[in-house]
Amino acid sequence: MNRIFALSWLTFKEGIRDRALMGICIIALVMLFATIVFTGVFGYDLGKVLVDLNLSTIAFAGLLLTFFVNINLMAKDIDKRTIYCVLSKPLSRTEYILGKYLGLILLVCIALFFLLVFSSGIIAIVKSMYSEIFFKNFSWYCFFQAYFYQMLMFFILNAVVIFFSSVSTSSFLVLLFTIATYITGQTIEEVMVFFKKEALGQNTSAVNHWVIDIAQYIFPNFSAFDIKTLASHGKFLPLEHTTALVGYSLIYTILLLFFASMIFNKREIT
Amino acid sequence: MMAKSIKVYTLLLACVLIYIFAFFQLKEERQRFLELNFMDFTLPSQFTGPVSLEFKGITADFLLFKFMAFLGGRVQDLKEEYPRYPDYTYQSLDAITDLDPYYWDAYLFSEMFLAWSGNPKEANKILEKARLHLSNDYRPSYYIGFNNHYFLKDFKTASKYLMEASKLPGCPYYIAALAARLSVYSFQHRDGILFLKEMLKNTNDKRARKEFELRIATLEFLEMLEKKVTEYHADFGKYPEVLEDLVKVKLIDKIPEDPYKGKFVLMSNGRVYTTSKMLPY
Repeated sequence: MNRIFALSWLTFKEGIRDRALMGICIIALVMLFATIVFTGVFGYDLGKVLVDLNLSTIAFAGLLLTFFVNINLMAKDIDKRTIYCVLSKPLSRTEYILGKYLGLILLVCIALFFLLVFSSGIIAIVKSMYSEIFFKNFSWYCFFQAYFYQMLMFFILNAVVIFFSSVSTSSFLVLLFTIATYITGQTIEEVMVFFKKEALGQNTSAVNHWVIDIAQYIFPNFSAFDIKTLASHGKFLPLEHTTALVGYSLIYTILLLFFASMIFNKREIT
Repeated sequence: MMAKSIKVYTLLLACVLIYIFAFFQLKEERQRFLELNFMDFTLPSQFTGPVSLEFKGITADFLLFKFMAFLGGRVQDLKEEYPRYPDYTYQSLDAITDLDPYYWDAYLFSEMFLAWSGNPKEANKILEKARLHLSNDYRPSYYIGFNNHYFLKDFKTASKYLMEASKLPGCPYYIAALAARLSVYSFQHRDGILFLKEMLKNTNDKRARKEFELRIATLEFLEMLEKKVTEYHADFGKYPEVLEDLVKVKLIDKIPEDPYKGKFVLMSNGRVYTTSKMLPY
């Protein structure tokens, strides 16, 4: 266990040193500052716009971090051949996968927590600038709940990065596959609903239904973790919903890491 | 060395001056371009929904911002000179409320820029979405009711929506009174009485109670008089010519006084109406 934590700490430290991380954080901070100006442009639902802008900025920063920093962190080990040093230590390949995953997650958690603190400050400032009437539906609980759901989504997305990194040595391919999985995960529900609605009264092939049904089990349903719109209107989701999504996120992550370690164990590292 | 510096600074100054000139020129050109090329389309939500991934809320904000910028201060000009104005407004607000069905600003705009621009039916279509999603908010039903009453002159439908609105939290008491008045226009007296009695039970506001009691009394008179007219018709095979005929044949002792100080009038179809229209005297 200590070996896993040591590797995750190393991965985290390596990530912190990445200049891209600094750039992403600066962009996110500028975007968060901009919300002070943009919120005032709207007429009535200022609380909704404020929460939308803040949560979207945090999500956007998390995506940039995952796609451009974390994928690089995984690829660097093989590109710079440092993986040989790591694996020559008494460390199994499964431990390597777990250590790397925990390091990536730690990086995302800390970076996004920093943005959350900053964003909360911005919200408090904007709230104090306008009358309470414009923030009738605003709720801190909902804001933090949406952030928590966002984190659950990043747990899976980073496991997807680990999975594709164990399959491919090219960081470009990993990026491509991860973005494709993310887009599929975000749209699969809508495609299904659309498909079923469009199919009403038409003779669609059974194969299509079959493919769509299979796809929804294979691809992670990322849109289930997106409660930003609900949070912006102060709609709090019940504990059962949260528990179900925590379970979904954990199980999907464990399965991905399991398959990643299985593939990585059989892989020739040259 | 000095001469070189002067050259560099002169060049720099020239660049800045050219930039300023070009900037103003560009601004002017751009304005002309924008005036010539309306961005009068909003992609439907079937496309914007999936494309905006997990950023639907912020996309809805952006589209609303774009809509506001498009209208700017020229709503009146657009309404008069621009034939696509209702289509563009409807498409934009429809897409925005599909992306975020709880977005009150967009619903408010549909009332402001569609209903009040001669398109109340389109406004009602969008407000129906609000009624579905903001089920605890009285405003969507109130606005639909108002549009039916004021623009479409469909009093029966208006009364139905206003009654629905008045049962929701935060609804001002006068909406209930308006609903009952409209039920009179559409001759739904019994509906109006039951509705007002229900409202009376749930309000502690003295002004509202007084108003409701007056309306209930008026509606009960109207209902009673119409019943007597029907009895007259059954007895004599024709409608009375005036309400006084009911007194003559002793179906009633006297014609009741309208609590709103108007006069009850018999219409040719046997229905009874009040000249006060149940408006405060």
